Formats: sequence, C-alpha cells, structure tokens
Amino acid sequence: MENYRPLIGTRIADLDTPCLLVDIDALEHNYQVIADTYRDTDCKMRAHIKNLKSPLLAHMQIRAGGTVGGVCAAKVAEAEVMVEGGIDDILIPNQIVAADKIARLCALAKRADVMVAADNPDNLRAISDTASAMGVQIGVVIEVDTQMQRAGIRATEQGVALAKLATALPGIAFKGVMSHQTLPGHPDRETRFIEGPRFIQKTLDVKEAIEAEGIAVEVVSAGESWTYDICSTIPGVTEVEGGTYALMSHAYAYMDDFRIAAKIMGTVISAPRPGVAIGDTGSRCLASPGGVLPMLDDVPGARVDSLHPNHIVLKSDGDMPLQLGDKYMLISGQQDIMVNRWDQYIAARDGIVEAVWDITARGCHN
Amino acid sequence: MERPILKPVGTPVAELDTPALVVDMDILEANIEQVHARFRNGNAKIRPYVEAHRCPAIAHKQLSAGGAVGIGVASVGEGEVFAQNGFRDILIANPVASPPKISRLCALANMAKVTIAADNAANVRSLSDEAVSSGVALNVVVDINTGQPRGGVSPGQPALELARAIVQADALNFAGLVCCDVHDFAAAADMLAAEARNRIQQTLDTRQLLERQGIAVESVIVGGDSCLEQAADVDGVTEALAGTYALMDQAHKALLPRLQPAACVMASVTSLPEPGTAILDTGRKAMGEDFGFPALADLPALQVASMSAEHGKLQWTDDAQVSLALGDKVRLIPLEIGGCVNVYDYIHAARDGKLEAVLDISARGKYR
Repeated sequence: MENYRPLIGTRIADLDTPCLLVDIDALEHNYQVIADTYRDTDCKMRAHIKNLKSPLLAHMQIRAGGTVGGVCAAKVAEAEVMVEGGIDDILIPNQIVAADKIARLCALAKRADVMVAADNPDNLRAISDTASAMGVQIGVVIEVDTQMQRAGIRATEQGVALAKLATALPGIAFKGVMSHQTLPGHPDRETRFIEGPRFIQKTLDVKEAIEAEGIAVEVVSAGESWTYDICSTIPGVTEVEGGTYALMSHAYAYMDDFRIAAKIMGTVISAPRPGVAIGDTGSRCLASPGGVLPMLDDVPGARVDSLHPNHIVLKSDGDMPLQLGDKYMLISGQQDIMVNRWDQYIAARDGIVEAVWDITARGCHN
Repeated sequence: MERPILKPVGTPVAELDTPALVVDMDILEANIEQVHARFRNGNAKIRPYVEAHRCPAIAHKQLSAGGAVGIGVASVGEGEVFAQNGFRDILIANPVASPPKISRLCALANMAKVTIAADNAANVRSLSDEAVSSGVALNVVVDINTGQPRGGVSPGQPALELARAIVQADALNFAGLVCCDVHDFAAAADMLAAEARNRIQQTLDTRQLLERQGIAVESVIVGGDSCLEQAADVDGVTEALAGTYALMDQAHKALLPRLQPAACVMASVTSLPEPGTAILDTGRKAMGEDFGFPALADLPALQVASMSAEHGKLQWTDDAQVSLALGDKVRLIPLEIGGCVNVYDYIHAARDGKLEAVLDISARGKYR
C-alpha cells in the first residue's frame, strides 16, 4: 500500500512522482454541474462510487446537491466503506450471490438503506432467506439489460415475474428497475440524445409492465455520466448512476460540460535519444485496458508513444520539450480502473496541495 | 484496501470469498526450484525481480532456494518495502531523476546494498552529489539499450563514456552493466530468443571494451524472463534479473513451457442471463491487466468473451456441454501477473486445495 502524504501548501511542482492529483476547482465545478442539472427535476443523481472509492468525495456531491442523498457501490466491500464513512443510502447495481456475501449485505442493512439489483429468482429467494433470518429489509431493483448483453433480464415478462416474487418474499422490499448503458467511441450530442432514450425506454417498458400488475415502482435507476443530461428530461427516470463525470477521463472528453479533475504526474527519468523522453509512469499506475493510452496534458509538440508496466515512452517530432527531471501530467483513458490502483489523492488548488484524501475503498473487489 | 472475508486456514479454496488472488504453493515452489537449480552451480546467479509479485514472503522463498544474489525492484518505494522486510541487496532497475527520489535512494543505502541503473552523465553527477552529502556509497550500473522502447545508453562507446563518468564520480562505485527487455506480448518466442541473444552479445561486447580500457566490470545483469535460459547459459553474464517465473502467467507460457501457472484469480458466477452466457464478479478492475484477458483454468472449452470494469463474461455454444450454476467458482489465469498482483493486498496461499496462509502484498502500489 502506498502512503504519500506531502505537506499541505506544497507546490505540486515539488511533489514526488508518480502521484495522482485531483484539481479541486475542477471537481467542485463538476459537482456543481450535477447540482444545477437536477435542482428542480424529479430525477436525481446517485453518484457511482466505484469511480472514486472515497466517502469524502461522495459527501462532497451530496452536499453540493442534486442527489438522492445516497450512492451506488459496485461491491459489498465498497458499500461497507461508504457506510463506515457516513453514507446511509446505498444501491449495489450488481448481483450479490454468495451466501457469505449476502450475509454481509444484510449486516449492512442494519446501518443503512440498502438496495441491490437482481435478475434471478433463486438469488431473490436466497436474499430473502438471509434478510428474514437477520431481521432486515433489503431493497431490490430488477436489472434490465438494455443493450450491453451483460447481467439483467432479457425479456419484459421476466421482469414482471421477478417483481411479483420480490413483492411476495419476506425480508425484501421491491423498489423498481435499473439499467446501465454504454455508447462506444466519442458520440456527439445528437447521437447521445437519440441512442440514450432508445436504450432506456426498454427499462421504462419493464416499469410499466410491472405497474400494470398493480405493483408500485418507486425507483427507475437508468442512467450514467453520458446520459446525465438526457435522463433528467425523461419522465419516469428517478435516478442516475453517474461515476466518471466527477474526475473525468479523456475517453469521456466529449462530455465537455465536465472538466478533467484527475491527472497523474510523472517525471522524465531518461532522455536517451533526440525526440524521446522516458517517464516514470507506467501502466501499473495509469491503467490502459484494451490498450487505450493516456494523453499528455498541455505539452505541445510531445505525445504518448507507448506504455509499459513501469515506464512510458514520450515522443516529439521536433525538439523534445521535456528534459531529464522535468515533470509532466497525464490524463487516463479509463478513470475508474486507474483510481483503483492508487491509495491517495493529492488534492490541489491553483497548483498548491490543499489536502491528501485516502482512497479507502481501493481494492474493494469483494 | 482490499476487504475480503479472510477465512480460516484449512478452508477449501473453492469456498474463498471472490474475487481472490490464489497461489498454489506447491506449484510456486516447484517453479522456483526448477529455475534456481539452474543458477545454483552456474557462473550466473539469479536476481528475483520482485515487482512481479510485490510480496516479501515469496521473495524470501526465492532467496532461500539458492542460486540468487539479491533482489531487483522497479522503484525506490518497492526497495524501501523490501529493505524493511530484511532484504539487503537491492537493484533498482530504473533510473531515478528527481531530487526527493535521489535523497530517498541514498537513505535506502543505509539499510541495504543499493545498486541503481543510470543512463545519463548529468544524472550520475546528481547521484554523486547526493551520495556525498548523505555520506553513503551507491553502486551504479550502466543501463544498456540495444533498441528497446525504453531508456538506456547505446552499447559500445556511449556506455564506455558513462562508465568512466561513474568511475570518476565521488561516492559512486561502478558496478557493471544491465540490459533489460521490454516484453512484447505479441512477439513469437523465437523472435524474443533471437532478440535476447543479440542484446546479451552487445552487452558482453561492451564489457570487453570497458575491460580493455582498464575498467573492471563486476556485474553483467540481463533482465527479462524471456531470456532466462540464455542468461543462465552464456559465459560472461553474472546475473539474470527475472521475476515472472515464480507465479507465471499466460504471456510467458510459450517462453517458459516447463513452468506451471501458480496464481489465479478465483471468480464467481453472479448472473446467467441467457443460455450460453455467464457473468462473473471479476472484471478488468480486479484482474489488473491492461493488455488482454485471462484464460480459464478448468474449462478449456470456454473463453473469456469480454470484460468490463466490474464484470467478466463467459460465452459458449450449445455443444460445449457447459453447466455453470449461479455461485459457481471459476479460476482465471492472468495474462500478465505483475499487473494482477498490483491490485490486490493479499495472496491466498493454498496447498492441496486448502488455504494455508494469507500473504501480504506489501509493495502494492509503490510506484514512487
């Protein structure tokens, strides 16, 4: 585990590298965009903490406004860290199947409102059994697959059957439906506003079919960062599971309402040939799943050439602007996977360290 | 930090909380024995590159197996962790260039014999200045690059000039030459072997050049699991710097065919949304891999079809006769073990299918 705690007031130019920096102004800007978007809408943000892994950052969005007052967590362990950090309303938009993990989930329900996604009747019965035995209520949303072909029901009638079962089972409070969507590449606004509602309509269809059976649907959790401004306009969607918007990544740069708040700082450790600089930031700390390279931030004339476990190769066409010992900043292409490889955010404003924030849910894969 | 349910010693591995990084200790020990046996009686010794597991308990097993000189690390931070865990001979295989890092390097030299790679005369002066003011001696090896996408000086004259600068610098001991590979996951084994032979030969030629100029070359260190065999066999190589051989992974399977994968990530089926599809609780985040997908250990008819951040997806056709139930466990063999261990804080050490110990991955995240 890393434990890097520079003095408050240190200039970021004087920090040791590699380090993960958060620009507090950019983060607060992004939180304010959400607060403004959802101030007067029925739909609210439920920030997905898998991207941030920090209860503090969850509280910052909740305090800024526009939220349901709680968060999403991908895993039970992540949810535990949030509850220990004072969050009392959690949705796990994934299936919790193992018996001992269901017990952990139910234990959490003694301290917080807990919802979990389900797509299988046996799983619902298992949750019901444990919740009843432990004397708690677990909220359940039915996961609807809208286009990702991942988990989730494939047909509306499956959703209705699960909703009926959830309503009948003790220890379970049926809450509603959820879905997650993705759109590859860098879609423009028009494409987003065509594709997003089309995907989400499938979730709304399931909601309506459940309601037609006389079962109330309180929660429709159906959006993410790239649909944040779409969901607020779709009647019936009650909450959005946005994660990337807070710190951002270059893969989401098309969502230009948000500012890049997370950057990795490195140092040139070798300048072996003209036009080449080697940096101390490799894939271990940057994450480049699928070969998506990070981008250099504001170094005109230089670019990322290749990424290796413990070093990066930077190249330039003319003179290399980066010399031995120079610092540079990178923007990751996959923000949540990158954050999961760090133990601290060095939070800075105007180039000065203002705080060190532990990434307490790092590694909470369980 | 990772927060698994840590189950009692003796728990069958199939009952571990998932995702879990599990290491079969019998296989690990057999891999170490197989490799170290070659170095016990040879001229060359092995220097385990512990970045591949970041785990002091495994590094102690490697040194205890014999044939080893010390350890190699990728960063000063890793070196600090291993020095605190009793390791007394540490090679940092990458240059350090910033003043705070050079200060830490010199402080580390009070705890262990420290050897640092260098490829630049100005950097050598900075190392010397700080070593003098800290009152320590640093061992410096010249980092040779024969065409890999990384730092290093060219073999021959440029290496000679840098070696001279080190010899002349105060508080530095010129310790020899190091040449490392950059593993290209797509390259064929015979291509990698040819590249390694060429790289080693150019480094040995440089050694001769230095010795003709009266500069003693104590060590010739050859880095990379891809050339472990050559490093052991070629006269003049003093150390092989390698680490993947202990836990192994898919990327090194063809290169080191006698070694077996000792590490896997145990995952659980959490959804069976349609026939022929299973969703796992383990995705890219818990695999820690950047260059591809893991392989399935027990289900040869199956492949990992895709992975997103939190989920893995298995797909199969009707004739594959797969029957997976909700909650079933599958074992994923990492493509690249060094990336995988770097997202875990614990190794579940198993023997005969039962949990034997939980080992700390103490140098996880020590990039600095």
